[in-house]
Amino acid sequence: MGSPAKVDEFEFFLEKEWSDGFPVVTPTEARVRWMLTGTRREPEEVVGPIPPALEIATVRTVAIHALMAGCKPAYLPVVLGGIQLILREEFNMGGVQCTMHGVAPLMIVNGPYAQKIGLHGGNGCFGPGFRANATIGRAIRLILLNLGGGISGRASATVFSSPIRYTACLTENAAGSPWESLAVSRGYAPADNVITCAMAENPRLHFDDASTEPGRLLTGIGDAMTAPGSWNMWFVSDLVVAMSPQHAKLCADAGMSRADVVERLSQLAVRKQSGVKYGGNWRPERARAMGIDPDDENALIKAVKDPQRLHLIVAGGNGPITAVCHGWNETSRFVHGSYEI
Amino acid sequence: MTSDLGFIDPTAGGSKARVALAPRPMDLAGKVVGLLDNTKEQADIIFETVADVLRSRYGVAKVIIRRKEAFSRPATEALLNEMAKEVQVAAAALGG
Repeated sequence: MGSPAKVDEFEFFLEKEWSDGFPVVTPTEARVRWMLTGTRREPEEVVGPIPPALEIATVRTVAIHALMAGCKPAYLPVVLGGIQLILREEFNMGGVQCTMHGVAPLMIVNGPYAQKIGLHGGNGCFGPGFRANATIGRAIRLILLNLGGGISGRASATVFSSPIRYTACLTENAAGSPWESLAVSRGYAPADNVITCAMAENPRLHFDDASTEPGRLLTGIGDAMTAPGSWNMWFVSDLVVAMSPQHAKLCADAGMSRADVVERLSQLAVRKQSGVKYGGNWRPERARAMGIDPDDENALIKAVKDPQRLHLIVAGGNGPITAVCHGWNETSRFVHGSYEI
Repeated sequence: MTSDLGFIDPTAGGSKARVALAPRPMDLAGKVVGLLDNTKEQADIIFETVADVLRSRYGVAKVIIRRKEAFSRPATEALLNEMAKEVQVAAAALGG
């Protein structure tokens, strides 16, 4: 009956409730076969149920969404690896699919395969402009929207959402970093292909073109990591800090390792309770839940309760900026793992 | 998924049976009502107040309040089953 000419495929997909608002690459059988050349896995292999709707993602349906998002077949292993990771129980993707918050699962991809496929960690790495970053993250989002049903105003109660929900995928600036990668810092080998995912808000840019030594630099970044209204202040949750190579070099030149900077920032990202209590999401119950007397104005509230939850990366181009991405709540814990290529 | 369109429509939903909404009771008199506390702050205060009103104004026989483990996670199967056995009407509700 119907002929392709009668349906405008761009409008067809733009009108879908699960559309992200942009056109997609029309998924034809031939194109999906092409996309599936990017993996050795069987098309019907189950990847897992996507919450909250719990539609089952298979390798084939992931490939269809990767195709629609604009991926090359070479990106498919990263999309598959990312989906597999974000479905881990401790990451609580279902909670974020429904929350009022606007965080997204930020994928930090380390290892040689990220370099090979052109994932970008330099100038403008949060986008726009870089196909691998843009389309891998978009594929994940389309899966969350369509198979997961995490649609704003429906299953998702998100108040504002956030531009980071269009795409959230990058690598580190390996060439510009004075340190080992995030993955290597967690015990992986440099040759391993690893994804780390943490729930993250949009990056907030912290300019510091004045500091000439790490003490002042990290004091400022630490302050940017604390904020009334951020859940990091009241929950043990994740926080991503992306230092530009210039900021990282300032620390490294003074003899600081990556772990030293993580430790120092964890100590400096702190406010007295009096500074976070007269606005934002302070409640006496929340202070008490952290073992803090709500009446003690001088009690210290740390943005980073556990240094493992501070994900320090070196990314971006040259310049005096560090990007701070606040996190979500204590029901999500970051995940990392190697993926199959 | 493929059709006369000439391309694939991967819209989810086709593979699962749809579950109809439970029939809504016309009145609550004599019924056992369950309230599911999502653990957000002050939910307990709100629920106790609502429970009083349900009993005094709507003739509800009994109100059972149960608490999830965390507001950002679904209630466990065991908790849902337990509530399903005990109550005739259930409401999931927010504190905050």
